[in-house]
Amino acid sequence: MAFIPEYNEELVKCMKCGNCQETCPVFLITQKESRVARGRLRLIKAVIKGEIDITDGVQESLLTCLQCDACRISCPPGVPVNDMLLAAKAAMLAKGKKLPDTQDQVRISIKDECNPFAQTKKERGAWLPPELRQPKPAKYLLHAGCAISYAQSRIGKAVIRILKQAGIDFTMMGDREECCGDPLLRMGAKQEAEKQIARNKQEWKKLGVEYVITPCAGCFKALKENYSDDFKPLHVVQLFDQLIKQGKLTFRKPFKKKVIYFDGCDIGRHGEVYEEPRDILKAIPELELLEFTKNRENAVCCGGPLLGSYPDMARKIASERIKEAKALGAEVLVVACPTCLLNLKEGAKEAGIRMDIQDLNAILIRTL
Amino acid sequence: MQQNNMFEKTLKNIRELVGEDYFSDSLEDRLCYSYDSTIEESLPEAIAFPGSAEEIAQIMKWANQAKMPVIPRGAGTGLSGGSVPVKGGLVLVLTRLNRILEINEADYYMIVEPGVITQTINDEMDKRGFMYPPDPASMKTSTIGGNVAENAGGLRGLKYGVTKNYVMGLDIVTPTGEIISTGTHTVKTATGYNLTQLFTGSEGTLGIITRITLKFIPAPEHKESMMAIFKNMNQAAQTVSDIIKAGVVPATLEFLDHITINAVEDFKEIGLPRDADALLLIETDGVKEAAIKEIACVEEICKKNEAFKVHKAASEEEREMVWEARRTAFSALARVRPTTILEDATVPRSRIPDMVRGVVEIAEKYNIQIGNFGHAGDGNLHPTILTDERDKEEFERVEKAIEEIFDLALSLDGTLSGEHGIGSTKAKFLVKEVGDEGLDVMKKIKLALDPNGILNPGKMFV
Repeated sequence: MAFIPEYNEELVKCMKCGNCQETCPVFLITQKESRVARGRLRLIKAVIKGEIDITDGVQESLLTCLQCDACRISCPPGVPVNDMLLAAKAAMLAKGKKLPDTQDQVRISIKDECNPFAQTKKERGAWLPPELRQPKPAKYLLHAGCAISYAQSRIGKAVIRILKQAGIDFTMMGDREECCGDPLLRMGAKQEAEKQIARNKQEWKKLGVEYVITPCAGCFKALKENYSDDFKPLHVVQLFDQLIKQGKLTFRKPFKKKVIYFDGCDIGRHGEVYEEPRDILKAIPELELLEFTKNRENAVCCGGPLLGSYPDMARKIASERIKEAKALGAEVLVVACPTCLLNLKEGAKEAGIRMDIQDLNAILIRTL
Repeated sequence: MQQNNMFEKTLKNIRELVGEDYFSDSLEDRLCYSYDSTIEESLPEAIAFPGSAEEIAQIMKWANQAKMPVIPRGAGTGLSGGSVPVKGGLVLVLTRLNRILEINEADYYMIVEPGVITQTINDEMDKRGFMYPPDPASMKTSTIGGNVAENAGGLRGLKYGVTKNYVMGLDIVTPTGEIISTGTHTVKTATGYNLTQLFTGSEGTLGIITRITLKFIPAPEHKESMMAIFKNMNQAAQTVSDIIKAGVVPATLEFLDHITINAVEDFKEIGLPRDADALLLIETDGVKEAAIKEIACVEEICKKNEAFKVHKAASEEEREMVWEARRTAFSALARVRPTTILEDATVPRSRIPDMVRGVVEIAEKYNIQIGNFGHAGDGNLHPTILTDERDKEEFERVEKAIEEIFDLALSLDGTLSGEHGIGSTKAKFLVKEVGDEGLDVMKKIKLALDPNGILNPGKMFV
């Protein structure tokens, strides 16, 4: 059958060298070919050639892809596996292969309540100060994202404080904020994602928004890839780095710790933001910045994207990152992504290692 | 059918033995274990991930009763079809056996399990100031067991030798299910047949490796790197000759041809001159004064042979840049056409100019693109055919060209494979190199150890 035919040329390029085994976090944990780019591409080929239907096994092979894009780094002919897997997930849905229940529920939750966590729309803005619960025209729109709104509002509150401290005039959709659409794209619900994206764009345009800033790396990636024709996307670390360098934010307290920065995939390989978080950390008095051996575009995913659908695997992958951080002597592990934050904490539990894991904004609040 | 019933029962027993988590006969997994890094493909009946030599021995006993093929596999990144289950059967993945059991710094040996990734060994050696020299390009993903089974090579072969030079002993499960230990921990041994070297490079056809004793050496104190660019291939070839004549044995002496240089520039634009006919990359290592003296000697020789550009790396970053060109060569060539076929025909060093010229002629004769690069220092070049497997007509010409490349290498007193092995892809050509009687002796050995012909059938012999 025709299956992602737009990638037929790319599919031929895979020469089965197996280099992807080096960088794929899921392969490294499972040691199974069906959990690495080479195997996944072979299964896609098999579907096209009619060797196999879109079985549960095929679906699981494709759905366990983290979309971390690490295989691109090690692939000699540069097969765009990340894009192909996204397209394949969409194609599976389009051909009527229903998502497993846990993921279908996420899809329904976004459709009905505009968030992936089966929480209600009503509760979304509850964490916000009253003046930010309704939008107003502004150049900067702060998009907190679903993870921060429902699960990690501490980070959101920290960001709001910092923005006010720097005198930035901004608005928020507040009670009416909705999912950026990324979880829908990740599971292949392309049409529903596009509807969600269109709704957001319509609302934001009404406010005359120029910059959409977010503390959520997943939203940042989604903004960059789907909204940047109409708006300029910024991860808050980019804005805060600028403000620090302009002297509009200054540090009054030191942070005397060995801090290791973790490059999440959405802000890193996808969002291409590597230096700003590091510059911020390096500017904090007495902070010693450590690096993972594989960092920046070579960083290894924490496994977070699988936390909802394949939690055991997500935790095992995260525990490897924690072990690495510990071996390097890190006292604090800093991230710029709420999914990394949550999953790395799970990883620390899995590894039985005590590690202080913080969002970068939490460190800023303590030191600015 | 009778055979299928026998397999079914056998596979059921194997499933119980290794456990549900370590066995699969799903179509998805059968598809995923049908290939290696060649274009060969064939589905197995099932896949098992054994956890011990004892489990493997039991599996071989049952497989013999059922006459079921067993195909050992590491990472499955071989370049000769060695882990492709061409006759179906059971793929036996050895990656669960992945521990480094011992590193003996007094007696310079280590004991490892076959599933350890070669890069991991490298890293452990680095930490301790030692070196395990064999560095096949796949080392970040390939397993040491696979390296031993295929006698993998690498860039350091000229000075340091290849995998077989470092194998001191093996634990083997024989095709009939016995467990034996070969070799010693001593530097020298003269006891019995050299079984260690029989199983090394036997490509999983004579026994399954379950433990490896490897020797290692002290890490060199200092490294120097240099890049030399030539307008004329012959000058480069003469340079290689002269370097060896001068008594310098570089740790690495690599070569890129005109097509490869241009592919690298198309891909990464590192600033290599596109009109260059040949590029040499040389690394010397050892005691600091020696490495420096040797690279100075090399530099002089390059200039004497009219290299129009010679660049000695002045720092670690520059060293990295020099080697980026070599590392990128394959990726760059892989981007030119959809299908990339890496060949391995090897000649004595002095015949390199004839081999390079001959490959160019073959490419012209069959009107196909072949980039040539590789280990100029030891004669092991990698003619790389750039094609599209979907173009049946072109692919027929490619297959003819490959056979002529083999004939060319043999006519130049060379060998079919420097480091990739025979596997299934070169099995039909083996007789050209070893002769009927030679082949006969090999078959006798195979029959003696594997009377039912179940261990990796379809490899080495047609």
